Amino acid sequence: MLLSVSVGEYLKNLFFDRLPFFPDNIRISLFIIMFCLIATLEIYLYVFLKKAKNKRDNYLNANWKEKISNMLSNIIIYGDEDDGLENVVNHFLPRFKKLPLKRKRVRNILIEEIRIYHSNFTGFTADVLKELFIKLELHKYTLEKLKSNYWEIQIEGIREIAQFWLYEYDQLVFALTDHEHEIVRMEAQTAHVRLNRDNPFKFLDNMRGRILPWHQLILFEIITKAKYVKIPSFVQWLGSPNDSVVIFCLKLIGYYQQLDALAEIVKLLKHPQEEIRKMSVWVIGKMEAEFVEEELLKIYPKETQKVKIEILSALGKISSGNYLSFLKDCLLTADFEIKMGATKAILGHGRKGKLMLQELQSIVPTKNQQIIAHVLDARI
Amino acid sequence: MEAGFYFFEQIFNSAIFYFALVVMASYIFLCFFSALEMKAYMRKNSFIDYREILVSPFAPSVSILAPAYNEEATIVDNVKSIMSLHYSNFEIIIINDGSKDHSLEKLIHAYQLEKVDFCVNEQLNHQPIRGIYKSRNSSYAKLIVIDKENGGKSDALNAGINVSSKDLLLCIDVDCIVEQDALLKLVKPYLEEKKRVIATGGVVRIANSCEVEDGRLVKVHMPKNIISRFQVLEYIRAFLMGRMAWSRLNGLLIISGAMGLFDKEIVIKCGGYSHETVGEDMELVVRMRRYMHDNNLKYQVVYIPDPLCWTESPVDFKILGRQRNRWTRGTIETLWTHRDLFFNPKYSILGMLSYPYWLFFEWLAPILEGIGIITFILLASFGKINWEFSLILFTMVYTFSILLSTIAVLFEERSYHQYTSGMDVLKLLLLAFIEPIVYHPLTIYWSIKGNIDKFTGKKNWGTMTRAGFTSNQKDKLETSSTQNLTTQQEQSV
Amino acid sequence: MARILLVEDEELMLKALEFRLKKDEHEVEIAKDGREALLKIQSADFDLIITDIMLPFVSGLEIIGKVKQTPHLAKTPMIVLSAVGLENVVLEAFELGVDDFITKPFNLTELTIRVKKLLKK
Repeated sequence: MLLSVSVGEYLKNLFFDRLPFFPDNIRISLFIIMFCLIATLEIYLYVFLKKAKNKRDNYLNANWKEKISNMLSNIIIYGDEDDGLENVVNHFLPRFKKLPLKRKRVRNILIEEIRIYHSNFTGFTADVLKELFIKLELHKYTLEKLKSNYWEIQIEGIREIAQFWLYEYDQLVFALTDHEHEIVRMEAQTAHVRLNRDNPFKFLDNMRGRILPWHQLILFEIITKAKYVKIPSFVQWLGSPNDSVVIFCLKLIGYYQQLDALAEIVKLLKHPQEEIRKMSVWVIGKMEAEFVEEELLKIYPKETQKVKIEILSALGKISSGNYLSFLKDCLLTADFEIKMGATKAILGHGRKGKLMLQELQSIVPTKNQQIIAHVLDARI
Repeated sequence: MEAGFYFFEQIFNSAIFYFALVVMASYIFLCFFSALEMKAYMRKNSFIDYREILVSPFAPSVSILAPAYNEEATIVDNVKSIMSLHYSNFEIIIINDGSKDHSLEKLIHAYQLEKVDFCVNEQLNHQPIRGIYKSRNSSYAKLIVIDKENGGKSDALNAGINVSSKDLLLCIDVDCIVEQDALLKLVKPYLEEKKRVIATGGVVRIANSCEVEDGRLVKVHMPKNIISRFQVLEYIRAFLMGRMAWSRLNGLLIISGAMGLFDKEIVIKCGGYSHETVGEDMELVVRMRRYMHDNNLKYQVVYIPDPLCWTESPVDFKILGRQRNRWTRGTIETLWTHRDLFFNPKYSILGMLSYPYWLFFEWLAPILEGIGIITFILLASFGKINWEFSLILFTMVYTFSILLSTIAVLFEERSYHQYTSGMDVLKLLLLAFIEPIVYHPLTIYWSIKGNIDKFTGKKNWGTMTRAGFTSNQKDKLETSSTQNLTTQQEQSV
Repeated sequence: MARILLVEDEELMLKALEFRLKKDEHEVEIAKDGREALLKIQSADFDLIITDIMLPFVSGLEIIGKVKQTPHLAKTPMIVLSAVGLENVVLEAFELGVDDFITKPFNLTELTIRVKKLLKK
């Protein structure tokens, strides 16, 4: 007791009476000590309040989640296709309407669960879920999200529109395709591709900046998985000054085997960007365009190593047999990867290639023998 | 004479005091940048569906490299858990670095391996390969096992890089527990950054006392062992505060050896892992960065705050001391090898900020602190100490270090709150009070010992590569030692 | 009617699928990760196995391998139900001997028809 009083006395003395007489560094130190102590205490308070709140949230969320997911599984399982869409939804609707949807917590859980189910199913189940979403008027909240000041909320809205195929909001989404925030822009473009039936790829005409690989990946996913997307002829964007647009279109041309683009692609073999030349060669190989082989061989000597390897791989895919002797000569170079690429290309020629490799194996130097053995081993 | 002495003393005192203030300010800045980076990351990835990467044919291909030395007890399970990682286009390369136990036999038996005629592209140097194995069973088609002569971790990784046929390299410790979506998260920066990403790292956490089943983490607990517990606090501080901030500044010098994803092309171009240092993980990142600067290429090194990798930490002071000793020597070696970076404007932030920071705060600070403590004791024994002022200065450093640890715990709570129980968090917070007086002096001691060993050329467990790296070649982390400032006590003469 | 093992790690999907199969009067066992699945396969016989590919602990591909390479289990029909529809993954699965491959998102009715068809064989 006495001790605590004297400590208090001492501190008071220290911070008030004696403070002006201390040297600068001691005064600064005392100030910093005060600051640290107060800040630490505040953080303690914050951490533990937050902890308590999280605990309560988790408990409530888990309860609602359980309830909602049961209701949703019921509608998925017992909604019989023969009863018709309207009847199924109307039958289950009253139960959903009883949920306190005014409460943000419940509403968000419901939206999230419907969205997850919807993204996993097609056909009747998906239709039922969409109908339910609209009948519960959840799309109104989606529209609110679009107008939010936080870009991550806007994205949530965009995603819901795309997920549930809310065609009527396509124009709202399109307006965001030129949004100043890059990720919003990207999400809006992706959604627009999914929703628009006339000209979904219009945004490629004047793309702001590069389409990041991440964006390309998602777009590719949307385009190739969605059933109703109108696939244009991507050749129209091959002349784009935006390199990333060209690369993206090359990927899609390859995927959809748009053979009419080949003439343009051959021109791209002279493009200054290595990446574009490489991608062009890849597409040519993928489409097994035999008539371009000669052109590939012509550019080969002057190409970079990466493109050379791509050319060899393309020759293997085309496997016309016209250039086997060229591939054989590639084994004479010093570059390991070229040798490997050429050997694989020879193997790409099927039985004929395999025989050739087996013949070669007995006459080439040891290192090449090893490469051939490597390529011939089916386990590798 | 007396006056001259007094004058000198004043200068000395103020200089050290203001150095301390600069150090403290720099920590506050790091905190700030880290908070920004974490917030941006959480915001950007809150709505991301990583399944998009999983299902895409255009996701980059990855080789997972895991060197193993005498790991027969766990290797089969470890490989199994790596094989169940969520990713579509990857291969797993296990490098048996001349183990003296039955690691290889166990793998051969468990995965029906057989020797294949694999032709290796010898781009990097390493000890001879005795054989390369693949499975007869197509369920294990992703697995490649290299059996080679012992050469140490760098050597093993270089052999793995030569065998790799993919674009990115994930280098991990085979006994680490890797989160299943780790690859998806580490790959994402490669897809979305505007500059070329040459390396990404994830947060490493302490797995002691956590529930682990079949090589996978089931439940997170605070370690029961106090030594590991200190390290939990230390790791949170270093990863969530230190490295996130450096990532924001694009000045990151180290990606832990326990887990890092690298661009293979750049790794090969700059010569792979170095055999010359015990700190090969840090040295590689510095060399890769240099390479990019030397060739005028724009690049980025990214750190992501997700806890992706869990590692068993040393539980006794002897092994921990050895680990820290080696980290110190690794730091010295890397700093010495790349000494021309020091305030070299050609290397922008790498030369002007990262390198000096490491030199002054990571290497020099523990030494200064050690000198400070000795001086203080000497002066005290001559009775030349103003005890009150010393106490005030000491309290300042002490409260500041507590504040810093508390902020680190706050970051952890705000982001991933791995320790769900309130008790665990409380334990961490209380630990912040003991750590500066119990654990911190030890790290100083080990660090100084490392310096002494390095400069007296004692290489007992250093570049000697035959020792293997089972328990102690884990991860290097900035000790983030705010408490380094005890130095200033000496000013209160 | 038939004993079906359902391997799936997403709670929501698991629930829906389980209910759906039970509605057709199948006896449904569930496993939430690869390890649990392997244990269940060893301890009981199933008429059909439906599995995801990306699973905790043990990947779906390994489960397929284990089943198809164990003589007394090899005849058990297997369906893969996965979001990963990549060419190399699908080919790998079929090479291991899987009977059907369905990519998410999928049509629930279609799944039940395929299940029926495989069980008839």
